[in-house]
Amino acid sequence: MVPSLGNFALWLSLCFAILQFIISHKRISHFRSKLNSVAVNGLLLCVLISFFSLMYSYIVSDFSVMNVFQNSHTTKPLMYKVSAVWGNHEGSMLLWMLVLTIFNYFIFKLYNQTNSIFISKALETQAFIIIGFLLFTLLTSNPFERILPAQPNGLGFNPILQDPALAIHPPLLYIGYVGFSAAFSLSIATLSLRNNEKIPWYIYMKPFVIASWTFLTIGIAFGSVWAYYELGWGGWWFWDPVENASFMPWLLGTALLHSLIIVEKKKSLQSWVLLLSILAFLLSVVGTFLVRSGILTSVHTFALDPSRGIYILAFTALLGGYSLILFGLKSKKYIKNNYFSFFSKEGSILVNNILMVIVCATVFLGTIYPLLIEAFTNNKISVGEPYYNSTIVPIMIPAILIMGIGPMLSWGREDKSKIFKKIFPSILLTIIITVFIFLFYQSYNLIGIVGIILAFWIISNNFIILFQKIPNRSSGMIIAHLGIGLLILGITGSSVWQEEKIARMKINSEIKIKKYNIVFKEINEIRGPNYVALKGNFLVYDEKKTIITKLKPENRFYPITNNFTTEASIHTNLLRDLYIVLGEGNINDGWVVRIYYNPLVIWIWIGALTIFLGGIVSLTSNLEKLKRLSI
Amino acid sequence: MKKQLLILPSLFFLFFLIIFFYLLIIDRNPSELPSTLLDKNVPKFETESLLKDEKFISSKEFGNEILLVNFFATWCKPCRDEHIYIKRFSNEKEIKVIGINYKDNPKKAIQWLKELGNPYTDVAVDKSGRIAIDWGVYGIPETFIVNSKGIIKYRHVGPVTKKIYKKINLIINESE
Repeated sequence: MVPSLGNFALWLSLCFAILQFIISHKRISHFRSKLNSVAVNGLLLCVLISFFSLMYSYIVSDFSVMNVFQNSHTTKPLMYKVSAVWGNHEGSMLLWMLVLTIFNYFIFKLYNQTNSIFISKALETQAFIIIGFLLFTLLTSNPFERILPAQPNGLGFNPILQDPALAIHPPLLYIGYVGFSAAFSLSIATLSLRNNEKIPWYIYMKPFVIASWTFLTIGIAFGSVWAYYELGWGGWWFWDPVENASFMPWLLGTALLHSLIIVEKKKSLQSWVLLLSILAFLLSVVGTFLVRSGILTSVHTFALDPSRGIYILAFTALLGGYSLILFGLKSKKYIKNNYFSFFSKEGSILVNNILMVIVCATVFLGTIYPLLIEAFTNNKISVGEPYYNSTIVPIMIPAILIMGIGPMLSWGREDKSKIFKKIFPSILLTIIITVFIFLFYQSYNLIGIVGIILAFWIISNNFIILFQKIPNRSSGMIIAHLGIGLLILGITGSSVWQEEKIARMKINSEIKIKKYNIVFKEINEIRGPNYVALKGNFLVYDEKKTIITKLKPENRFYPITNNFTTEASIHTNLLRDLYIVLGEGNINDGWVVRIYYNPLVIWIWIGALTIFLGGIVSLTSNLEKLKRLSI
Repeated sequence: MKKQLLILPSLFFLFFLIIFFYLLIIDRNPSELPSTLLDKNVPKFETESLLKDEKFISSKEFGNEILLVNFFATWCKPCRDEHIYIKRFSNEKEIKVIGINYKDNPKKAIQWLKELGNPYTDVAVDKSGRIAIDWGVYGIPETFIVNSKGIIKYRHVGPVTKKIYKKINLIINESE
């Protein structure tokens, strides 16, 4: 009953989307704007019903639904039954639809007497995107497909996905990806209408971009948290094609966010912003294509199905072809040849913009290079971590240096002699902190020193801005930048000074890593809700022989799906993580144990959370700006 | 700025679209990798040996008996996963395995082998990645079967799993 309702609601939402598309296309009248309201609200309601129907089917374990049967099991804890909704291809498309319609609703909320034509155009584009994805969901990946007779129990789901961080990772990430659709629609509306000089489209666009970027940041961070805690490889970023697919829109989003500030203040760079907002969403869709078509192999890829790939690609072609050709033809009038000084706020933002786009292009090239080579030469090659490290780090260094100065510069033209005076305190502070750290730790490494300098360069700059009384300063920006500083600190520490030990350990044997002695005390069989596991017990002693903690890594076996997973056990403090993974072994030969000493990892998560917080602060202040505009 | 440049993004887009479409339409398996070196002689090379003081000279090593060549590095996580199988080749099946340590820190590599056990009869150091290029290595780990005439008979990209372990044993038995 409920699944049929969900299916019906999904088809009905297609009708509302088509209605929205048609009426937005026509001239505005009072009647039509009423009808538009019906379409937008009806669409949102229907997708909500559909989404929660599927969630209900998961919660009550309705195994007459194919999707539930394939991805759930009665023994699964409630939280993972809920998150299983988006832990598979079909369900995640439904989540994608939900976020898309929520953003559609917010675009509609901008509607007023003065901008009705403009917003209608944006709603028309948004409706087109919604129709495209709805058709895709309904025709190639309907989550409500039935299996009759109903099965007694489900096939379970991939236990590696049974993790709290991964449970919320997709919704956050999707808000990010899909949020760019709003910026895309507004950009199309700006390009296609003739008389919209009076429409402050960039003020409309900004909250959407900030929201997307903020949620994309935290979404990526949760993905990293998952990789770090669940995959048991000791790292948190692997340059996997799917990670790259989320990183690329983030980079463009960063550029877009900052250029929007210039547009707002100086009215220049408009065509650049229009292009970026188109590309950011296109990259999100291309990312979806890469993940779901099976064109690339990756740990994240969903089921391979060429027909899905063809469909998404055709839709991408339509969206991209239309928007980019429109841009090519119509963006001329947004180009103004006003140059600005490098030593100004807008100058620094522009340079950083270019650097972000270069990084994005570099990541893009690395991700699809194997595909290009295969298409042209039929050879297969792969691009891995060494490529990214050697290309991206050198571009990021100047970007971060400029990022430290940018917020201190004035708009227009900055007096060059004053610049040094402004940044002198933070240079001094950075040097003092860096020297102090290295005197204390005495572990010299070029990349390490550069990373620490950059981290404290950003941190001290923002602290100094915080203590200066600059009128109209954006506290969201300062918080977010501070977060970036902390993030760099964590990234540097964990990648430069990571240590690892791998050994075969027998019970009561001992291993030393850094200043810690780790004793393998015992190993036991335990029983979880839907798995059995071997659980090791390791005692960690410091140099004074006092016990610091017990680490209990697990090796789990899920009988339902016949998988093994490793649960790393981690002891965290502000300076380092001790990370133990239990590998294969037996009582006679011992077990393979991997131990990592990962310095400063927690600052990556603290940094990401701080950025998120900054984003939220900035979002609220921009929403207020928007409210004042409409009054 | 030249106005014509504005059309460039759409041209780039078109280019990538065509490639994606082409790859979707042709019959391909993204995880299968043919080798152009199959049934050809092993590329010749000379380099340092990781564990011995003498030089590693490929012409001395290949062509006497059937052996495996395994590209690995300590920074490569899947290499660690397959290590247990590489050890089984040398311990249980008594097949000679030549390791090629790809773009790695020799100290770390020696330490790694000490801790995990050393299945290799000799390890050639490929600091610059030059040897890997000659062998057409796509991404490590990679494993090659070289027969007693010094000809490459099989190539596997990615970690050796239980299935691949059996497959390699089968191929070795066939060619003996």
